[in-house]
Amino acid sequence: MRRLVGVALAGALLALSGAGVQPAAAAITVDALTLSVKRVDYPALALRGLVLRLDVATSQLDLRVASLRVGPHTLQDVHFACPRAALSYPVVECRGGRMRLARKPLPVSIDFRFDLAGRGARFVAAGDRGARVDARFDPSGRLEARLSRVPIAELVRQFQGMLPGLAGWNPSGVLEAELDWRGAPSMEDQATGGARREWLRLRAGIDNGAFGSADGQRAAERLAVDLSVEASAVEDRWQWVARADWKQGAAYLHPFFVEAGPRIQASGRLRGDRLTVREASVALEGVGALAASGNFDLQQRQWTDGALSVADADLAVIGPRWLAPLVAPAAAERLRFAGRVSAGLRFEAGALRELDAVLDGAGFSQPGPAGGGVSFGPVSGHVPWRANGVTRLQLEIGGARWERLAFGPFALAARLQGDRIGFDRSVIPLLDGAVVLDGLALQRVEGEWIGRGGAVIEPVSMHLLTAAAGLPAMEGVLSASIPALSVRPGEIAFDGALVISVFDGYLQATKLRVHEPFGVASHLTGDIEARHLDLAQLTRTFSFGSITGFADADIRGLELVRWRPARFDARVASSPGRYPRRISQRAVQNISALGGGGAMAAIQRRLIGLFDTFGYRDIGFRCVLDAGVCKADGIPGVERADGGFVIVRGGGVPALDVIGYNRRIDWMELVDRLQSAIGSKAKAEVH
Amino acid sequence: MRSFRWVGMVLMVLAALLPIAAPAQGNLDIDSPAITALRASMQQRHAQLAPLYAAGAVGLAGDGTVAIRDASGVPLAQRAQVNGLVAAENADRVALYREIARANGHPEWEADVRRTFAQRWIERAQAGWWVQAGGNWVRK
Repeated sequence: MRRLVGVALAGALLALSGAGVQPAAAAITVDALTLSVKRVDYPALALRGLVLRLDVATSQLDLRVASLRVGPHTLQDVHFACPRAALSYPVVECRGGRMRLARKPLPVSIDFRFDLAGRGARFVAAGDRGARVDARFDPSGRLEARLSRVPIAELVRQFQGMLPGLAGWNPSGVLEAELDWRGAPSMEDQATGGARREWLRLRAGIDNGAFGSADGQRAAERLAVDLSVEASAVEDRWQWVARADWKQGAAYLHPFFVEAGPRIQASGRLRGDRLTVREASVALEGVGALAASGNFDLQQRQWTDGALSVADADLAVIGPRWLAPLVAPAAAERLRFAGRVSAGLRFEAGALRELDAVLDGAGFSQPGPAGGGVSFGPVSGHVPWRANGVTRLQLEIGGARWERLAFGPFALAARLQGDRIGFDRSVIPLLDGAVVLDGLALQRVEGEWIGRGGAVIEPVSMHLLTAAAGLPAMEGVLSASIPALSVRPGEIAFDGALVISVFDGYLQATKLRVHEPFGVASHLTGDIEARHLDLAQLTRTFSFGSITGFADADIRGLELVRWRPARFDARVASSPGRYPRRISQRAVQNISALGGGGAMAAIQRRLIGLFDTFGYRDIGFRCVLDAGVCKADGIPGVERADGGFVIVRGGGVPALDVIGYNRRIDWMELVDRLQSAIGSKAKAEVH
Repeated sequence: MRSFRWVGMVLMVLAALLPIAAPAQGNLDIDSPAITALRASMQQRHAQLAPLYAAGAVGLAGDGTVAIRDASGVPLAQRAQVNGLVAAENADRVALYREIARANGHPEWEADVRRTFAQRWIERAQAGWWVQAGGNWVRK
């Protein structure tokens, strides 16, 4: 027995020394063996501070390893105890062994057989619930392992030290895998100084897999994934090829929700902590071809750089899934996409550095809640962008639509530089005129766009404009000169004048501001000045009866919310000058009706039925709208003892006054009456 | 008991949406059609956000916005909608702060308005909701 042990130790030392073992100390007794090994190094395996004790009499083996490295990961304080061990040179065997990692017991029973002479070994770990790991080491340094029904959650929990990055993701599922790892340095290689070569093949499958980050922003459920990796190395320089097939399940990778289907094929190299993906191709629904490459720092667990190219992607498919959640999450469900795009992107340190996108008939639209909305396209052209460089954007835009207004095709060119964009002069056709943007320059600051430029509206026929907008037909033209257009967070300001020449007079809008242009609070403010409007044309256009004469209007502090007036201070008055002033019976009735409490003297009520038209001296009306109430007043300086206010002051023969008594008129009621008057749906009130 | 909890929740929500007392520098309960539209929009959205606040999926951030804190309890397929909901709420909140400053005639007060509202939202958050204090999430 003594000789046997001695021979066994000698054999062990001989065998281990071939793998780079440096024995530190050993003691031999008749009944027990104690073996200390300072270090062992295999390519895929290394250990430090091994102490093995074998009690021959009781067949008990006790093994402690201060540090065990498997691949890139290291376990500390490994303790293995075997109640049925046997040593029969050159074989050490164990059945029913139990292992502790950092003093925590693993729920597996371990059998192994180690041939000290041939340096071969077999290791079988059987879990309490059917999991099994069967590994064989042969003398050439080949490792073959088969993992079946291994619960991933348990694996990660037990090997937190080896898998620190995974623990926070709460992974679960069942793992099946086959690993074949060859390449311990041969004696010949070492003797001749030849390069050390390794080869690895892994086939793995995850079933019913899931994971979730602590904040739930990266998670997956019911995953079924097949994975295969083949790799070879010369002196720790690995070349690898991998395939992954995502067969079932879904994932949320903020801000994207992705379902099973993508397949990945990739190749690259690994050296030290640097994992290089030379080329990865991804089969993704809606994308003709998707390829990626990059470098991943395994130590820092982050991509240092990368590139992505997308060819012939269908925007109708990738837009809602990949673009809308990224660029407009609040409106993602309302955005619509069309057309195709190809793109190349380059990243550094997690930030986009370069982008080239080629659009082919791309379309973007956001339907409004009651129809209309905004649409843009088809758009074709090239969008190049560099974080530190100047590029030129060139797009051909087939048209655009804003509510009922359709814009014609136009070219859009711009100079891009980092967060700045400077547009060339753009002429956007609108009906028979055009909107011209001139010198518009924008800059993105802290996530918001700011900038300025100029704009002109070249004359647009009011006849066509009103027809397009569904308004009663009006003659005249609309034009605008906005020398100072400025964009700030939540506001677009138009400093200049928008002029509509209509009804032989003009209407000029100034101080126009669009506030919160993209939200529910979107509203327009401005001042409007109208001069010398021909009331005959105006009343004819709106079927309001007939008034001859001219009027001026000033609307200060106009605020339109969803194109409905919410606030203003409006005054309407007869234009100065000498001209015929007549008002028809129906116009009188309509104006009286608008006032709600309008009244005429009894004698006037009798007159209304006798004549078709009446002479008047002047017309004056003021409405200050706020909080849904119009505070009404009439011709300034014309007071009445009964508290009424004069809207139409009679003059000539026959003549009559139209008087209002209700100084607080509900705005919606007033609008209803106006619409009724225009549509002649309601009988006019004459008191 | 459950109904009392809901009554309490509704009251808290209404209280949070009621006009806030004016600070020294301006009138925070100032009204305008845009502010009314924003409050209505936020009130309508609150029916969807309230269960997310209660579940801890979404919390009240220290900068006057809301933020996804832990979406683990939200079904996977709905997490993108929650993200959209949070983005829409924050767009309304930022617009609200701007509109209140604008309605006061001092657009430059936006940051002050936002700061004041951030404090009030957090003060008025229900017990059990998550709020940010000093950059960390704490449960009220």
